[in-house]
Amino acid sequence: MIRIGAVGDVHLGVDMRGTVRPSYADIAEHADLLLLAGDLTRLGTVAEGEVVADEFAGLDVPVIAVLGNHDHQSDAEDKITGLLTDRGITVLEGSATVLDVDGVRVGVAGGKGFGGGFAGKCGHAFGEREMKAFIHHTEEVAERLRTALQGLTADIRIALTHYSPSAETLRGEPPEIFPFLGSYQLAEAIDASDVDLAVHGHAHYGTESGTTAGGVRVRNVAQPIIQAAYRVYTLEPAAVEPAYPR
Amino acid sequence: MNVPQYDVAELRRALAEDPRTAELGVQVRIRGDQLFLTGDVACPERRAAIAEVAAEHSDGLALHNEVRVVRHDPPTGQEDLR
Repeated sequence: MIRIGAVGDVHLGVDMRGTVRPSYADIAEHADLLLLAGDLTRLGTVAEGEVVADEFAGLDVPVIAVLGNHDHQSDAEDKITGLLTDRGITVLEGSATVLDVDGVRVGVAGGKGFGGGFAGKCGHAFGEREMKAFIHHTEEVAERLRTALQGLTADIRIALTHYSPSAETLRGEPPEIFPFLGSYQLAEAIDASDVDLAVHGHAHYGTESGTTAGGVRVRNVAQPIIQAAYRVYTLEPAAVEPAYPR
Repeated sequence: MNVPQYDVAELRRALAEDPRTAELGVQVRIRGDQLFLTGDVACPERRAAIAEVAAEHSDGLALHNEVRVVRHDPPTGQEDLR
């Protein structure tokens, strides 16, 4: 049994240094790894990134993160990624990593993702260049997620994003803003890749549990939803051979 | 003309874009002369900052800051997805 710890939208600022780490002191008793589903910071500054590193680096379990929209606010996302990486936190952006947990290969592919909306109620790459740029960004990040997922050789596959791949975990949010909260194209990538669990954040008023259109379980771990330091989900490697080669 | 819907939009925009708050997840409601703020933020300082920014955009309204601070407790259980 593999225990996946996950939280998103911790929104750490320089005023929170030292305040959340105590909640993760005994994390190895609860989880085998910790996923951070973006919006690690409030304003996306390097100083806030350093707080994130101080709070999450060197925990007793591996930490794997993606960035969120807040982490891009100050155009310092590359510096934040660099300093987190230097402190031993794996930051995914259209990339993947595989951990060995007691002999089980746990693969995590991820990236920020983006909005755009859900099937039949989404934006299109048509018209003004600003609109085309918006949707093209969605298409690009979804394609990179697909490539990263399909490149994984692992016994368990997890997709980690900030934006949501499912409208189901947005229930509670105003439907009018769904196109700013996620995209079905992320789910298409997930559904094409034999994923066991998709984890995201971003939707503070959404719902924890949902699925993709293809039946992959989705969990929204935005901290205002889970009201805890992190949630824990348990998984086992598939007992039968999947259609997609592992 | 004072239109409450525009006042709500202006305050939500301020709470999102003002670097003192940078909160996109605070809901704003005006009912009569009462202003209600709801949502969850990471720490008590953020909750106070929201009240500070809201006060600058709420002339004549009675402000009710119902924003909560999220809990950071370690998990008490797990969800079995096997």
